[in-house]
Amino acid sequence: MWSYTLRRVLLTLPTLLIVVTVCYLLLHATPGGPFDGERKVSAEVLANLQAKYHLGEPLWKQYLLYLDGLLHGDLGASFRYADWSVNELVLRALPVSLAIGGVSMALAIVIGVLLGVAAALRRNSIADYALMLVSNAGNAFPSFVIGPVLILVFAIALKWLPAGGWDDFDPRYMALPVALLVMINVATVGRVTRASLIEVMNTPYIRTARAKGLAMHTIVLRHALKPTLIPVVSVIGPLAIQSITAAVVTESVFSLPGIGKLIVNGAANRDYTLVLGLVVLVTVVAVLLNLLVDLAYAWLDPKIRY
Amino acid sequence: MKSFAALTPFKRTALAAASMTLAVGALSLPAVAAIVPQGVALAAKQELVRNNGSEVETLDPALVESVGAANLGRDLFEGLTVTNGDGAVTPGVAEKWEQKDPTTWIFHLRKNARWSNGQNVTASDFVYGCQRFIDPKLASPYGNVFGPFLLNGADIVAGKKPASALGVHAIDALTLEVRTAGPVPFLPELMSNPNLGPVHRATVEKYGRDWTKPGNLVSNGPFQLKDWQVNSKLVLAKNPNYWDKEHVQLTQVTYLPVEDENTDVKLFQSGDNDMTYQMPTGTYAKYRQQFPNDTRNSLILGTRYYSFNNRDPLLKDVRVRKALSMVIDRDLLAQRVTADGQTPMYGLMPKGVSGADVSNYEWASWPMDKRVAEAKKLLEQAGVKPGTKLRFAMNTSDYNKKMAIFAASEWKTKLGLATDIESMEFKVLLKKRHDGDYQIARNGWVADYNDATTFLQLVQCKSTQNDNFNCNPKADALIAQASETTDQAKRKQLLTEAAKLVMDDYPLLPLLQYGLPRLVKSYVGGYSLKNPMDHYGSKDLYIVKH
Repeated sequence: MWSYTLRRVLLTLPTLLIVVTVCYLLLHATPGGPFDGERKVSAEVLANLQAKYHLGEPLWKQYLLYLDGLLHGDLGASFRYADWSVNELVLRALPVSLAIGGVSMALAIVIGVLLGVAAALRRNSIADYALMLVSNAGNAFPSFVIGPVLILVFAIALKWLPAGGWDDFDPRYMALPVALLVMINVATVGRVTRASLIEVMNTPYIRTARAKGLAMHTIVLRHALKPTLIPVVSVIGPLAIQSITAAVVTESVFSLPGIGKLIVNGAANRDYTLVLGLVVLVTVVAVLLNLLVDLAYAWLDPKIRY
Repeated sequence: MKSFAALTPFKRTALAAASMTLAVGALSLPAVAAIVPQGVALAAKQELVRNNGSEVETLDPALVESVGAANLGRDLFEGLTVTNGDGAVTPGVAEKWEQKDPTTWIFHLRKNARWSNGQNVTASDFVYGCQRFIDPKLASPYGNVFGPFLLNGADIVAGKKPASALGVHAIDALTLEVRTAGPVPFLPELMSNPNLGPVHRATVEKYGRDWTKPGNLVSNGPFQLKDWQVNSKLVLAKNPNYWDKEHVQLTQVTYLPVEDENTDVKLFQSGDNDMTYQMPTGTYAKYRQQFPNDTRNSLILGTRYYSFNNRDPLLKDVRVRKALSMVIDRDLLAQRVTADGQTPMYGLMPKGVSGADVSNYEWASWPMDKRVAEAKKLLEQAGVKPGTKLRFAMNTSDYNKKMAIFAASEWKTKLGLATDIESMEFKVLLKKRHDGDYQIARNGWVADYNDATTFLQLVQCKSTQNDNFNCNPKADALIAQASETTDQAKRKQLLTEAAKLVMDDYPLLPLLQYGLPRLVKSYVGGYSLKNPMDHYGSKDLYIVKH
């Protein structure tokens, strides 16, 4: 297990290098540079700006300089936000995204599994259809529709919650974006749980348990739930990564200071270092999440050993 | 802050004689902060939340470039002068000033001007602030914009002279001499710009790049920095050391960096925001009906126009450019398409600009049938056949799309010309415009200071801001002549003439003068509707009891 984990962590490095290299080249190939503004800066100012950010150097040299900084944990200076380094920007945005993403994922898993189990146990009943209809609605409607509807109802009409913004992890500001992400993710978790539990419930060892006269809740909780969760765990990794990409919309709708907003601003402003820093971060998170998912398999399924 | 490029270089030779004869003038205007009309009861809680459109690029006044950063710059820092809510120039740190000769101004600083740490604001702080701003090592994007106005500024920005050669000197602790490269009649207004304001040297030297962070920043404006959470909010508190604090009503101002216009309006509706930055496209009529007391709209010194690439094989013929301009029904565009309180434009100068009169094309008052007939004749003379394709480039936005579709429809139905509309990211459009890699492109310009020269930059031969690549040497000569004269009436006449002359070449297609509709809670007082520069300093605002 430990050697497997170490191997996977080490494999992160070439993955990161490939992602950074491709992203670096794509960013520099995109038309328009960081200093292309409404007004053209003078040649002298441009030369000084380029010198400051090493943009006058050949591309390979810039790339190596960036990698050198990266190895030293320095993501560089932001092209757009003159008063902040990329490290500072990322460190300020990350807790916001982690809080929103983490809480919403945890809630989506709990609610999704409960809904899925309830629907599977009452298969094809009205309750099953109703549960699946509600949870699927969250998946069917895009977040830029659900988000404003939540704001209209809970912030403008009822005035229970703020329409957007952020205030030091105040739950009132987190409630609506978390609710939106839960609605989006709960459908997937619920659907997968339902299908998986239905399949597990038809397996011979569950039939045996029933024949022995065990109570339904004992069968589900003690025997069926663990194998049911294997496919659920498989979708959690992609869902978590999807939450990061969905943050681009969520953070815009709720005006949250997370990494989604930074990615959009960074790309629009050709803030090369900021975008690369965020790409590195998202890649590391994605790789780690996948590793955690793989390790969770071993815990859930005794047949899997690393 | 959309901006402009350097002025025609000044010629010092003509100035000596003028300076000998110019009478020394003394200007002293009353300081104006939030004047609360009699009978208006103020709310107990004087806190304002206003959206600033996006996260600011910096709080360093020397590096300020965007409208949002300039808004904060004016709240945190005070220059020699200040523009009030009506756009008028009033004393700031300088309580009075005088012009000794056409290129020399003396500013007398008030004794009670203080930094937020309680230290005195001195003339040396302005010298340091200006030299730092103009030093090419700092690479301020506005160095080459304001630099050429000041003596040796152009050479310093170009790296030919040291920053210490700048024509800004401290005569004593409370007297500042500003020498310009040529007559700059609008210098007092120019000095209200945060870029040319004072900077607290000890703070910059102590903290380096971190000098603008909360806890470090020392400022001299009506407000000081309390908190800054990037992409979340920026909170200012009233500066207890500000010389005119008695006239500052607000105790706290929170700036939001909300970019999404729909989110902005929702925050307004829920009571989490008192002032929106703009309104979403196509919602003006709806919100004006829904919030009749909160909808505020004022014309500003800005123009929406389309750039013609004057080097393009099709558009290099002035008859084609003229025909394309003539057939656009600006009234219809303003009233039915954009429908948000903007005004048709038929020339280079927007209404309200100083230093030149507005001059419209003669055909602006013709009936449309006559305009179309004339335009068709011009195209025929130029050999352009119906069905010819035009290429139009714009940055992606609903607003731009609506306008572009309208223009394309006008060219199609009235002249039989087809248009390929290409939508792209803003940075890509900027690059195409700067490189001349386009035929017709969306463009817009908002003045940085209230003078005609800011708009003439768009059409001058060697201006870096001229994306049309047109050149009218006669118009340039008139502008150069105007830049040397000390007679203001003559200057205005020359600039008006230059604008008319160059616009007769149809280098670009003027469309609309910017209106700036936004939602402002009816309890926010001091919000003037006669603010041509859209400078709403928080010290001019207050919260009415509600």
